[in-house]
Amino acid sequence: MAQEFSLPRIGQFIRRDLTIHKGTFVTGLLVSAVLLFLFCTLNMVWDKKLALEEFFGIFGVFYIPMGVLFTFSLFKEFNDTKSNHLYLSLPISIPERLAAKWFTLTVIYTAVFSLLAILVGMLAITVGTVIFSADFNVLSIFTEHYWNVIKVYFVIQPIFLVGAITFTKNRIGKTVLSLGLLALVFLLFNFILFAIFNHSYGVFSGNAIGSDAIDNVGEDFSMMGKWFYGLIFGPIMLVVAYFKMIEKEV
Amino acid sequence: MLTVRQLSFNYPNSRPVLKSIDLDFETGNIYGLFGKNGEGKSTLMKIMTGLLFPKSGTSTLHGDNVKKRNAESLQHVFFVPEDFELPSLSIATFEKVQSPFYPKFSKEKFYELIEEFKLYPTNIISKLSFGQKKKVLMAFGLSTNTKVLLLDEPTNGLDIPSKSQFRKVMASAVDEGKCIVISTHQVRDLHSLINHVVILDNASVIFDQPLETVSEGLWFGKASNPDESSILYSESSFGGKTILARNDMEETEVDLELLFNGVLSQPNKINAILKDFHHGPRV
Repeated sequence: MAQEFSLPRIGQFIRRDLTIHKGTFVTGLLVSAVLLFLFCTLNMVWDKKLALEEFFGIFGVFYIPMGVLFTFSLFKEFNDTKSNHLYLSLPISIPERLAAKWFTLTVIYTAVFSLLAILVGMLAITVGTVIFSADFNVLSIFTEHYWNVIKVYFVIQPIFLVGAITFTKNRIGKTVLSLGLLALVFLLFNFILFAIFNHSYGVFSGNAIGSDAIDNVGEDFSMMGKWFYGLIFGPIMLVVAYFKMIEKEV
Repeated sequence: MLTVRQLSFNYPNSRPVLKSIDLDFETGNIYGLFGKNGEGKSTLMKIMTGLLFPKSGTSTLHGDNVKKRNAESLQHVFFVPEDFELPSLSIATFEKVQSPFYPKFSKEKFYELIEEFKLYPTNIISKLSFGQKKKVLMAFGLSTNTKVLLLDEPTNGLDIPSKSQFRKVMASAVDEGKCIVISTHQVRDLHSLINHVVILDNASVIFDQPLETVSEGLWFGKASNPDESSILYSESSFGGKTILARNDMEETEVDLELLFNGVLSQPNKINAILKDFHHGPRV
């Protein structure tokens, strides 16, 4: 019996994906690089510096949406009625497919985008130093700002992965809409929970009860809640993606 | 080797496309899967590749349910669909990224076939015509050396010279270790290529016989003064060709188109005649 989880096969599948989508990836990364350079340079016009938090703020603006777009691009074959025969009949198991896709869209993408962004950022700082006499500083990924952006992407990426697998048409729009509805449901859920547990303490007797309650919900968001939602949007979505892939027919 | 048992399928909110299908596909054979349009030929092929899931029944390859889409099972099956799109890569790059998944892939065979089909490794697939893309995929499929090769309407989109080229390539491709299933509604295209006929009608298998049995049991041609009762099927058009029970008559070449029409019109009569020659009747 052949192995159903083979690392060489995952490597071959990643290579296949990167070769087929090379054009999309290169174009996306080049567009991001140009925009990142412009945003970083313009940022230095006013305060003559590009602080780490400013740089990683701009980084997040491009890194997350581009990652989402790549996710949909990488799953195009999966839902395309003309190409999914060849794709689904390729001898690679579902866990291998999922592992390859996830690794490409998170680890490889993050490494490549981060390296590119740091280089572009450094170039922008150099240009800013020459043109606007901005302060020179070195950008580094060993900072909390960077890892916060990465953390957000790693948590939300599986949701878009499920969206890319589930929907066949208008995939991005439908995923964002579903996510919006889901956020509303969770907001309501939190509000109800807060009301149930805190009603007896008279927190709803004030004038601005709605906003107070929502503020309190935000403040009250415990560590357990973070883990709960982190799990829902992270690993559990990967499990959902696995079952969606198993059930997929042409 | 590839076994289909009590397989039924229907698309959502529509009539059954396949009902209680039982079939066995063995190595060393080229099967012709015939049927009118919409009779479930493509659906059956997709189920046999694990691309569609049956509503009931099973399709197994060496005992493994193909529905599971195990990597090992898929290494033994290659499916060339009727309508498909290939990645926008050169033929050589396509081979490089796709072939590592098939352990028995023969690079030499692939490039020989590409040359035979008058294509070049540097050709960008997206710029080729549909017929040429089909040739690329067929060349790839044959080079994978999978035990089962399924071809859905392979001659659609091919010009006349390419159809004979296809027959030539397919005839040379079959060996004892391979099972090829070709589905088509253009029966003539498979003339002198197949050695087993399966005909689907009304969502069921109405005919499943080796060509050898057919030629042993049936006589095809223009009969002079035949006994009315011995005529199994006759066509008034095309020069009045008939199918007769062969008995002591000389062996004739099987006319696939006549056989197909005859089976659709008189399945019971024809199957009853062949029953005596068949080694294990199922229909």
